Amino acid sequence: MIDSSFDRRDFLKVMGWGGAAVALSGCGNTSIEDGKETVVSYVEAADYVIPGVSVYYNSTCAQCDAGCNINGRVREGRVLKLEGNAASGINRGKMCGLGQAGVQHHYNPDRVREPLLRNGDRGEAIAWDKAYALIAEKLNGVSGDEVAFLSGGVSGHLKVLLGNYLESLGSKNHFVYEAVSPAVVRAANKKAYGNEMPRFSINKAKVVLSFGADFLGSWVSPVHFSQQYAQFRKGVNGQRGVLVQVESKMTLTGANADRWLVVRPGTEGVLALGIINALGASGVALSGDAAAASQGYDKARVTSETGVSAEHLDKLVALLKERTPSLVLAGSAAEGYAHGSQNAAAINLLNQVLGNVGKTIEAPAVLPFPQMAPAKGSSLALKSLNEGLAAGKYKVLFTYGANPVFTAPGSMKFKDSMGKAAFKVAFAHYLDETALQADLVLPLDSALEDWGTQVPEYLADGAQINIQQPLMEKLHPETRGMGDVLLALIKQRQADAYKGFEDYYSYLRSALLQNKGALGGGGSDDDTFWDATLTSGIIKLAGAAGTLSASSAAGLKLPEAAAADAQFPMHLIPSVTANLRDGRHANQPWLQESPDPLTTIVWDSWVEIHPKKAAQMGIVEGDIVEVASKTGTIKAQAYLFPGIHPDAVSIPLGRGHEAMGRYAKGFGVNPFQILDAVYDQETGELAMHETRVKISKVGQRVIVVKDEGVIGGKQDGRRIALSKTTDQVKLSEEI
Amino acid sequence: MSVGTLLENWSEFRHFHPVDDKPHDPYKWAMSIDLDTCTGCNACSVACYAENNIPVVGKEKFQHGQQMHWMRIERYWSEDDREFPDQGAQFLPMMCQQCEAAPCETVCPVGATNHTADGLNSQIYNRCIGSRYCSANCPFKVRYFNWYDYPTVDNVWPAEMTRQLNPDVSVRGKGVMEKCTFCVQRLRAVEVTAKSEGRIVREGEVQTACQQACPSSAISFGNLVDPESRVHKQWAAQQVVLEADEQEKNKEHGTSELRGYRILEELRPYPSVMYLEQVRESAV
Amino acid sequence: MHRILRLSFFLMGLLVAAGSHAADAQKPTLTTEDSLGPQVTQPIEFPHYRHAGLRNPNDPTNSDPNKGGMEIDCQYCHTYARRSAVAGIPPLQKCIGCHQNIESVRQKPRIVELFKYWDAKKAVPWKKVHDLPDFVRFNHERHIKRFIEQQNRPTQEACGYCHGDVKEMTVARRSKPLTMGWCASCHQKEHPVTGEGGAPIGNQAYWYKFQKPAADKSGGEIKAQGPNDCWHCHK
Repeated sequence: MIDSSFDRRDFLKVMGWGGAAVALSGCGNTSIEDGKETVVSYVEAADYVIPGVSVYYNSTCAQCDAGCNINGRVREGRVLKLEGNAASGINRGKMCGLGQAGVQHHYNPDRVREPLLRNGDRGEAIAWDKAYALIAEKLNGVSGDEVAFLSGGVSGHLKVLLGNYLESLGSKNHFVYEAVSPAVVRAANKKAYGNEMPRFSINKAKVVLSFGADFLGSWVSPVHFSQQYAQFRKGVNGQRGVLVQVESKMTLTGANADRWLVVRPGTEGVLALGIINALGASGVALSGDAAAASQGYDKARVTSETGVSAEHLDKLVALLKERTPSLVLAGSAAEGYAHGSQNAAAINLLNQVLGNVGKTIEAPAVLPFPQMAPAKGSSLALKSLNEGLAAGKYKVLFTYGANPVFTAPGSMKFKDSMGKAAFKVAFAHYLDETALQADLVLPLDSALEDWGTQVPEYLADGAQINIQQPLMEKLHPETRGMGDVLLALIKQRQADAYKGFEDYYSYLRSALLQNKGALGGGGSDDDTFWDATLTSGIIKLAGAAGTLSASSAAGLKLPEAAAADAQFPMHLIPSVTANLRDGRHANQPWLQESPDPLTTIVWDSWVEIHPKKAAQMGIVEGDIVEVASKTGTIKAQAYLFPGIHPDAVSIPLGRGHEAMGRYAKGFGVNPFQILDAVYDQETGELAMHETRVKISKVGQRVIVVKDEGVIGGKQDGRRIALSKTTDQVKLSEEI
Repeated sequence: MSVGTLLENWSEFRHFHPVDDKPHDPYKWAMSIDLDTCTGCNACSVACYAENNIPVVGKEKFQHGQQMHWMRIERYWSEDDREFPDQGAQFLPMMCQQCEAAPCETVCPVGATNHTADGLNSQIYNRCIGSRYCSANCPFKVRYFNWYDYPTVDNVWPAEMTRQLNPDVSVRGKGVMEKCTFCVQRLRAVEVTAKSEGRIVREGEVQTACQQACPSSAISFGNLVDPESRVHKQWAAQQVVLEADEQEKNKEHGTSELRGYRILEELRPYPSVMYLEQVRESAV
Repeated sequence: MHRILRLSFFLMGLLVAAGSHAADAQKPTLTTEDSLGPQVTQPIEFPHYRHAGLRNPNDPTNSDPNKGGMEIDCQYCHTYARRSAVAGIPPLQKCIGCHQNIESVRQKPRIVELFKYWDAKKAVPWKKVHDLPDFVRFNHERHIKRFIEQQNRPTQEACGYCHGDVKEMTVARRSKPLTMGWCASCHQKEHPVTGEGGAPIGNQAYWYKFQKPAADKSGGEIKAQGPNDCWHCHK
C-alpha cells in the first residue's frame, strides 16, 4: 500500500492483533452456527409468505391524531419499518419522525403485559375475566352520574362503541382531553368561518403569515402541511411563497421563515389589528367591524406594544397588500393567553380583510357519518372533570389515551382529585403517572396489533375513514385491543344487543359492511369490498363539500396589556416539540435521541433564555436555573437561545416523567407542573402561555448534551450551509 | 516510508473515480438536497435509525460524542451579530457524501472502505479493524465508531426491540466504523432485480429511507448517469459537474443565479451530494 | 531511515504474529478451507438421495426405498430459493402434501415422526447446515436466475455449485467450504454471457451492454465475471 513490502496483512499484525479478533467477532454473529441453530420454518405458509421477502400492509398511524396513512414493512411476521402510504391524500407517502417511532411503541420493553390490580403499592397480575368481573362489581349500585370516562381524542367506531357503553351505564360524563390541542383556535375558526377546522391551502398562498402556528412541527397535520409548504416554496410561476412567522419563541416553522418577527408575549392580536389598521390606511377596503376593531391601532402604538419595528411592519403590510392570496394562521402561541380567543379572532379577521376566505381557507369536506367524526379534546374537559372529582362526584373513573397526572397543570392538583374516586381503571400501554394512580390497569394492544377505524379532524383531502389493522401477531398474549375491551364491558350491560359480535373485528367488519353502499363498495360483494378496504387502508368518501360562512367580528376588543408582575417578571412559554408533544411517547428512545431541531439538545429538558438577558443575569450555557411560578418550581439547564423574546423563557413539554419506562423516567423536567390556573376567558381553555415566572441561578453547572458541538451553530467562515435572497436566484428556471 | 514517498503515494491513491477503464456504467448513485424546502424536522434522521439498525446510545455516551446518527441535521445561525435570528435558521442534513475521491479510503490501513463500481463509498464492517483513520480524515465528520458492543449494552436493544432490526443490514459490533451507505441494501435489491430482468434500475424504483420519509420531499436520489433521472436533471440544471473541483459557473465574475453547490468542494473530495442553497425573501 | 523503519515494522510484525497464535484458542468457530463444519444430527434424517436421486433403471416402479430416487427437481420443494435471497426451508405442509397420499411408506419411522409434527402443528426444528456469518448475504434468487433460468444449466448442477451432489446425500454436513475465498474463486471466473454462436443467454447480454464486459478474448462467446465489490455481499 504505502510501500510494497508493507502490505495490508503486515499492518493487520502490527496495528491490530487485538483488532483482528475484533474484526472477526466484531459485528453481530460472526460464527458459523451449523448444527447449533435451527432454521425457522413454517408448518403452513400462505402463498405470499416468502422468507426474506417483505410483505407490506396499509394501516393508520396512531402516534398523533393527524391520521396519516401508513404502510408497514413486515418480514417473517415482524413489523420492521413504517413508511407513508403513497395513496394517502394526507401524508402522500411521507412520514414524520414521531410516526416512524411507532414501531418503538409497539416493541417497547416497558409495555404493560397483563392486567394489574392494586395491592397497596404494588400491582398484582390478575386474569382478564377477573378484571372484567371486578369492573362489573364496582359499577354495581353506582349511578351513571357517578361514572366518569376520561379519554384522549377518539373517533371512528371506537368512539361509537365508547358512547354506547357510557349510555348503557347511564353516564353522560365523557371527558375528551388533549393537553395540547388547538381548542381556542377551533372556537375562533367556528366564529370567523363557520367551521372549526377549515382547509388551509398553504400551497395556494403567496404569503403565509403565521402567528405561532407551528404547522411544520406539531400543529394539526404537520406532514400534510410540510408537503404543501414544499409546493409553496417552489411557488406559482416561479414566485416563491413568503413565510412570515410572528411569535415570542421560535418554533420549527419560525426557523424556516423568511422573516421571523419576535413579539412581546401575548401581543399577537395587537399586531394583527395593527396590520388591519395599516392595510386600511393604505387603501384596502375594511368592513365596518374590521375598521372598528382596528381603530386606534396605529403604527406608533403597535410598534411600542409588540416590539415589532415600524420598518418590518411597513414591509409586511406592503407584501400582504401586493401578493394575494395570502394565508394567515393563528396557532398555539397566539391562543395561549387569557385573551387567546380575542387574539385568534383578530388574526382570523385579518384573513377576511385580505380576502383569503374561500381562496386559501376553504370549506372542509363533510363526513357523511357524523357519529364517527372525532371527539375533539380540550383542556376544559379536564378542568370540569377535576372539579367533579375534587367534589367527590365520581366513584368510578376510567382513563384511556391520556395521562392527566402528568399533563394537568400543577395548579389543578389533579393527582389529589383523582384519589377521591373510589375505583379507578386505567386502559394503558405503559405504567405511566396516571396508571400508577389507578386501582386496575388494563394492558392494551399497540396500534400495530389492533383493529380500528380513525377519522382525522383535519380532512386534508376530502372525507375519509382510515383503517387500522394488525401488522403482526400480538407480542404479548395478555394484552387486548381497546375495542375488544369495550365490547366485553358493554356485553356486561347489554349482552343481547352485542351477542352477535365475537370480537371487535367482527363488530368493525359488520359495521362497515352494513354501510357498504355509502362507503363506495355498492357494486361488490362483502368479501371483495372488505379485502379492498384492508388493502388500501383508506376509505375515501364522496362527502358533500362543506360551506364557509362569513361572520362578523363585531365587538372584538383586545384587553389592555397586563401590568408587569414585579415578583414574576418573565413569561413562561411551554413549547410543544414535534417529537415529544405532550409526552405520551417519551419512552421511545429514537425520539429522546433525536435532537431538538433548534437547540440540538437530546435526552433532557432545557430553559431557553435570550443571550442578552442571560448576560444581564450572569447565566451561561449549562447553568442550572430555577424557574419558579406561583404554582411551583422546576430546575433545568440553561440554553442561550437567540430566538426568544428577552422577557420570556421557554421549556419544552413532554419530558420529566416520573414513571412510564426506562427511556422516559428521570430525563428532564415537566413544565406542566408549574403552570398557573389561568384560563381563556371565552372558551375556558387553559391559557398555557400565561404563567409568569422568575428565574435564578442555583449555582450548579452541567455540560449540555447537544448535537451542535462546542462552537454551537457557527460555520466559522466555511461555506457549509449557504443562503441566497430571492433577487439573487431564478427559481422559475429550476426543475 | 519517507514523507516524500507518503505524498507520492497520496496523490497516486487519491485518484478520482471512476477510473478510465471502469466508468460509472450503468450506475452512479447521487443525491441532491434542497435546503429551501428542508424544514429541519429530523424525520430523515429517525427514518435512518429505523432502516439501518443504528443504536440509540443514551445521554451519557451522547455527551461523550459517541452518537451514531448517520444522518444528522446541522443547524446554523447567521453570524452577523443580530439580536434575533430574524431570518430563521439554516438547516443542513449531513451524511456521508459518498465522495468520488474519498479522503477516508486512502488512509484505511486494511482497505475496509472502498469505492464501488456504482459510485458508493463502501464500508466493510468485517474487514474494519477500528483504526479510525478514516474518521479523522473525513472532512464532513460523518463516520461513526462503535466504542461499545451496542447489541450487548443495556437498553440499546432490549429483547423485544431486537425484533425491529432490519435483517438486510448487519448489526455492528464493537470496534468498527460505520456511516451512511445510501441505503445500499435497497440499492442492491433493485440492482439485482433489474439485472435479472435485463434492464437497468428505473428512475423512482428505489428510494433511500431518508428520501422516502422526508415530509417536504427535499431529498432527490437516483442514478446520475441516467439522463431520465431527476437527480441527473437537477445536477445538469444547476451546472454542477461531478468531476470538477471548481464549478465553471463559479469561475465567472458576478454571482451565479443557480443554487446548486457541493460542500467543501475545494478540498477535492468530489462529493456525490449536491445541495441547493436556502433562499430568503428580499422584500420582507 | 526508510530501511530502519521497514525493519522495525517487520520485527514488530514477527513479534505480534507470534503473540496472535496464543489468542487462537478464543477465536469463534470459523470456516477454514479444510473445514466443512460439524456433522449435524437432524430431528428427522432427510433422505435427499431418495427424493432427488436418479431413478434406478432396473426398478421402473421405484418400489425399493433403498435403491434409486425420484429425480424430483430441487425447486419442487425449495420454492423460495428462486424468489428470495434466502432459500428458507419448505413448510411442513409441503412434505405432507405428498406423503399423505403415499401409503406405502406411511408407517416408516421417519414418516411417522413427520406426521407427529404435522398433527401437533409444530414446525420441524431443522438444524442449520449451510450457515453463513451474519455479515454475509448470499442471494439464492440471483444465482438461480443467472444459471438455471438464463444460462439453462441443470438445476442440480447449479445448486450443486455450493450444495454439492445432493442427490447422493442426506445433507447433514456441508460439502463446500463456503469461505469468502471459495466464493471469490467462482466470481473471478469468466462466465459466458452469450451462448454458442453469440446468441444471448436470457437477458444477460442485454444487461451487459450497459456494463460492458471485458473484450472477447476467445472469439465468439462474450464472458463476464461475477460482481466483486465487497458491498455486494457485506452490507
